[in-house]
Amino acid sequence: MENLFQHILDRITELNPMHGKKLKKSVKSLGPDYFNKAEEFYQKYNRILFSSGKTIEFGIDCYLHMCNDMMFEQLRFMETGKYSNTSFDEVNKNVYDNPAVMEYHMNGLLMSEMLWHHHYKVYSFFKENFNHHLPSIARYLEIGGGHGLFTQEAVNDLPNAIIDVVDISKSSIELSKQFVSGGSVNYYLKDVYEYNPEVKYDFIVMGEVLEHVEDPVALLKKLHSLLNENGKAFITTPTNAPTIDHVYLFRNRKDVVDIIEKAGFEVYVESCIYAEDLPPETAEEMKITMMYAAFLKKK
Amino acid sequence: METPEILNQLQTIFRSVMDNEDIQLTDTTTAIDVEEWDSITHIQLIVAVEKFFKIKFNAAEIRAFKNVGELASTIKSKLA
Repeated sequence: MENLFQHILDRITELNPMHGKKLKKSVKSLGPDYFNKAEEFYQKYNRILFSSGKTIEFGIDCYLHMCNDMMFEQLRFMETGKYSNTSFDEVNKNVYDNPAVMEYHMNGLLMSEMLWHHHYKVYSFFKENFNHHLPSIARYLEIGGGHGLFTQEAVNDLPNAIIDVVDISKSSIELSKQFVSGGSVNYYLKDVYEYNPEVKYDFIVMGEVLEHVEDPVALLKKLHSLLNENGKAFITTPTNAPTIDHVYLFRNRKDVVDIIEKAGFEVYVESCIYAEDLPPETAEEMKITMMYAAFLKKK
Repeated sequence: METPEILNQLQTIFRSVMDNEDIQLTDTTTAIDVEEWDSITHIQLIVAVEKFFKIKFNAAEIRAFKNVGELASTIKSKLA
């Protein structure tokens, strides 16, 4: 199908006009590069769906189901100021250990990668700054590779580097293997706390993982231990982002930076992007999600 | 509370949340008919509706609303 991305936007608007309207408005200002990248991304996803007997309609249904979950979580969050889950065990029982929920949630998240302007802006921020680090990277690690979008960048930009991915989720690894093309990636299916390679890394990426754990400082300390003395890391995490699988609540930028510093890092480039195009005071009052992204070095 | 009264109250809430006094609601009104009704104002709307009618919707109910009539009918059943 030609112009699959436009079809996705139109179909979402047909099925959920209020959400479709918001999406169309938020992506309008992103420019031709964005539309080309989004088209490439969804064509790739469509081929993966096709190989398992599904169509893009399945992805759209999963996405809208996930958005409804999020809207409900957002309503309760505005009321209580807390996430509905506070422990990994709760999320494990309700989400990770529930194949039906995992299927729509993971596919919904994947669909959101290019539909949400803040996801795309974080990706652009990464690309722009990652380029400056390329000459110093011989060993690259990604923790929680997810769909493989960042891994694909590493494969494209670091043809001679060792590229490793460690992920606790078998389905994430399978998805990444299908998504990432054109290079050699070593996948390790294990808990990062049990991952102890002999040689450390020059660059580590950990996108949207901190909010899923009870102790983000411990996780960042583990990342710290895997990094060379002069190594750099790129992390992202959302603030005020109630979803069915988020556990640790960062209320603002300062909450995230405090955790980063406690783990022995300092931020040297950062970006904060609200998920909705609203005046900052309205976004703050409504506790709208803000995506925090930063490049870190050891203190 | 009867449906026309609920609809009337919903119209007041919609006008206040969307900041548009011209909004005219009927049973069949959807987000296609109201320019300002998007996923953000929808959240503000649900918060205002829950507060005014002193009710709470569950996730399945929120997912099921296709138009204003369905919203009004869920409110009516919760008030019964």
